[in-house]
Amino acid sequence: MYAAMLLAQTTKNPIVPEVNELFYSLVAFVVLVVLFLKFAYPAVKKGMDDRTQRIRNNLDEAEKAKNEASSVLTEYQHQLQDAKGETNRIIEEARQQADKVRKDLTAQAQKEVDEMKAKAAEDIKAAQARATADLQASIGDLVIQLSEKVIERNLDRDTNIALVNRYIDQVATP
Amino acid sequence: MTDQHEARIQAYASALFEIAQAEGSLPVVEDELFKVARTLEANDALREGLTDQRLPVEVRQGVVEDLLGPKASPSTTSLVSFVVGAGRARDLPAIIDRLVAKAAESRSESVALVTSASPLDAETQKRLADALSTRFGHRVSVKVNVDSSILGGLVTQVGDTVIDGSVRSRLEQLRTTF
Repeated sequence: MYAAMLLAQTTKNPIVPEVNELFYSLVAFVVLVVLFLKFAYPAVKKGMDDRTQRIRNNLDEAEKAKNEASSVLTEYQHQLQDAKGETNRIIEEARQQADKVRKDLTAQAQKEVDEMKAKAAEDIKAAQARATADLQASIGDLVIQLSEKVIERNLDRDTNIALVNRYIDQVATP
Repeated sequence: MTDQHEARIQAYASALFEIAQAEGSLPVVEDELFKVARTLEANDALREGLTDQRLPVEVRQGVVEDLLGPKASPSTTSLVSFVVGAGRARDLPAIIDRLVAKAAESRSESVALVTSASPLDAETQKRLADALSTRFGHRVSVKVNVDSSILGGLVTQVGDTVIDGSVRSRLEQLRTTF
């Protein structure tokens, strides 16, 4: 074992660097790290921060746009609702108006029919009354004419004397 | 009828009355004139002929004398001829009615204008005059006008009072009941 160790110490491992090489490498690494931290990291960090801010701004704008869209949508829905209500109101009003016009026309027509019926009834009644009166007058005239003819033929002298005598008696005793 | 017209008629009636009374023929003239008046009222052609101003007065007076000469007394004929000659033939019935009323008034009587379908004899006229005198409370003299259109019975007018007992009025009453 010891022999092996001696062998190892005496035999150079190709993978293990030299001490000085390690030293310079370490120095170079430290210099690189310092340079990186000094120059590259702030730039990278700033780039990252800018990107983060831009994304946040974009998200805020998107949220705002979404809210605006939602507001517009709500307003539109309200307007639509109002329009529907107005439409329904106009339709209902037109229906009521049409109903009223129909009722008015029906009532007017009924009134005219009633008036025409009443007038026709009055006309018929008046015509009947006229016809009856005419008939009575005609009958009266006919009766009078016939009576005159009968009287002219039959009213002899004696009858007339009797009429005159009765007249004189009535005049004397009013 | 205007007052002037009425006054003129009264004046003619008074004139005729005075003449007839002066001649002493008033009772006869009164009766005859009454018949003339009723005849004129009933006869349109005669009335128009006597009032036609286009005919000469002599012609119209000739008609009067031709019609009345044989039937009426000379006084009656001359009085009618006088009125026709004066152009007052249209007023002749009214003048004669006033004359008759005036004559009755002079006897303290009123005149009853009686319309009969047939002539009344003297006895019937007297009974009627007596009955009317009883009714009105004063003497009433009767002037009869024959008008067959009343068919039968009598119609008497004393002043504004009319007593209608004619068959014609009975028929008219019958007509109104229909």
